[in-house]
Amino acid sequence: MSQLFLIAFRNLVSHGRRSLFLGGAIAGVTTLLVFLGCLSSGVKQTMLESALTVATGDMNVGGYYKVTAGQSAPLVTDYKKVQEIIQKTLPDLDFVTARGRGWARLVSDQASMQVGIAGVDMAHEPRLPQVLKLKEGNLQDLAKPGNVLIFENQAKKLKVKAGDSLVFSVLTDRGVNNTVDVKVCGVAEDMGLLTTFNVFLPQETLNKLDQTNESTTGAVLIYLKNRRRIPQDVDLLRKALTGAGYNVVDRSSKAFWMKMQEVNKEEWTGQKLDVTSWDDEISYVTWTLSAIDGLSFLLTTVLLVIIAVGIMNSLWIAIRERTREIGTLRAIGMRRWRVMVMFVLEAFCLGVLGTAAGAVLGSFLALILNAMHLPVPAGIQFFTMSTTLKFALDPARILGGMAIITFCCTVISLIPSFKAARMRPVTAISHVG
Amino acid sequence: MPKNTEGQDIVSIQNVIKEYHLDKVVVPALRGVSLSVEAGDFLSIVGPSGSGKTTLLNLIGCVDVATSGTVLIDGHDTKSLNDRQLTDLRLNTLGFIFQSFNLVPVLSVFQNVEFPLLLQRKFTKEERAKRVDELLEKVGLDKHTQHRPSELSGGQRQRVAIARALVTRPKIVLADEPTANLDSVTGENIIDLMKEMNRVEKTTFIFSTHDAKVMSHANSVIRLADGKITDGKGAKAGAH
Repeated sequence: MSQLFLIAFRNLVSHGRRSLFLGGAIAGVTTLLVFLGCLSSGVKQTMLESALTVATGDMNVGGYYKVTAGQSAPLVTDYKKVQEIIQKTLPDLDFVTARGRGWARLVSDQASMQVGIAGVDMAHEPRLPQVLKLKEGNLQDLAKPGNVLIFENQAKKLKVKAGDSLVFSVLTDRGVNNTVDVKVCGVAEDMGLLTTFNVFLPQETLNKLDQTNESTTGAVLIYLKNRRRIPQDVDLLRKALTGAGYNVVDRSSKAFWMKMQEVNKEEWTGQKLDVTSWDDEISYVTWTLSAIDGLSFLLTTVLLVIIAVGIMNSLWIAIRERTREIGTLRAIGMRRWRVMVMFVLEAFCLGVLGTAAGAVLGSFLALILNAMHLPVPAGIQFFTMSTTLKFALDPARILGGMAIITFCCTVISLIPSFKAARMRPVTAISHVG
Repeated sequence: MPKNTEGQDIVSIQNVIKEYHLDKVVVPALRGVSLSVEAGDFLSIVGPSGSGKTTLLNLIGCVDVATSGTVLIDGHDTKSLNDRQLTDLRLNTLGFIFQSFNLVPVLSVFQNVEFPLLLQRKFTKEERAKRVDELLEKVGLDKHTQHRPSELSGGQRQRVAIARALVTRPKIVLADEPTANLDSVTGENIIDLMKEMNRVEKTTFIFSTHDAKVMSHANSVIRLADGKITDGKGAKAGAH
């Protein structure tokens, strides 16, 4: 086999221009695939980081609380009992934290905007200080009531900075207009789409704003040691909550907020819990990833077809040029399958070398662009979930891409290789040309 | 597998007809040839172009099949063998020397000669190296083992081809006009080398030529004309 490899490799080298052209095409497609893959991975990483900081845990237990049939509030009552069930049920739990959920108008001296509110208890939020990058102010002040943490673009819109005062205005679930004065304790760096409309408020201040008591929260956020088990853990927790006497809404892969309208149409009153995963919570934006992946797939497929035709043509030429060699090898005792392997190896070597070059090039390009921190125009930030263009190398994805392209190159070479192997030795030996 | 010792028939051909079909025209290449070749012979097949020399060598070499008649090689009826068995027969019993040398251009001299041994998968790397070095020394190319065929002269290339043909210790070596692409002195040397190998390795050589000088080295000569044997020791002309 090593001799067949040697023949294949040396034949590629001896037909340098042809090999370079085809190998270059394969490298080009791989570069594109790797580049788009890095972009998709980068967006996914940003999306995940952003979502897991601002909007969701790995899993969440949210609650729909309905005083009347037609209107629900995002509340989990007596949430500590729910936390106990979670701690007992999930073996790979890392930590659990309660977050209030609310929606209010945030008003400054010069502007106002509608924002989603996350009510936090900093003592139980070990992730936030690691992930949030403050432009100004002090994150620890978020532990004190009456403070708010906003993001860069919100600060720009509201024309405020750390230390300035703002007012939250809300129509509570009791039907009362309520306001709370807060001070901007910090302005954090933007983290994409989700930070355009979310702010952090101490849980105590949110309770005051919504006129809810301490035992009530918006959702219980669950962080796991192993994200791969999320689907099983969701099922496990749903069963445990049902077993503990809670009403749980039917499983759906939509975000908590997206289901609110459906819940409002239902006739029941009281409380129903909802167990969601992080990808449910950002399902309305994950189409971005699907779009990038779909585009990669489409482009790669089209280009692969073109390359496949090139490889086939090239092998037909090689076989024609080496017909007498095939005849000689068959005459001296080479079996048909070895002739086939000899040509298949040629395409395989070309595939491996081409994809390796493409992977290196694509990765290098992605790393350079990543290091340049290229700003993303505001309109596109919705898709990229980030203010700068981010790429992430995913070795499994890169190797997978290389394997698929090499596999396609190899498979396509089977047709001419098979024909070469089927040649009659006498015909091949006497071939002139 | 039948064993042949010197003096016994290693090739036996009975009433062989070979026809080629060119569209609707049937072109006869051999018209009922019968022939026996003794083990250890140094046989020359002579005749003008188109007389059927190459066709006869192809049939003996198991790279082609007869339209009718029997071809026995080392006791094996080639018509009863499938492609795999024919390939194995070629690998283990036959050696080939071609007019245009037909070496693998991307392999070195050593690798070209070693190649049939690799196909046999019977020997260790050391055993293969020993056999190849031994043969390359015999054909006078021990200083050129790492050269590629393109770096050698025509005579040197044909020496490599001879070493490659002999490396598996075949019972029969077939050479189709082995000197046709060489000048007369080099051609003479090549035939001398083949003769020497025939003597030392006890290998049966069957070669075609239309060069009287080359022919004169043969122990036996078969003359072909229009697909029939017209003259030859131990050979019979066809009935057709």
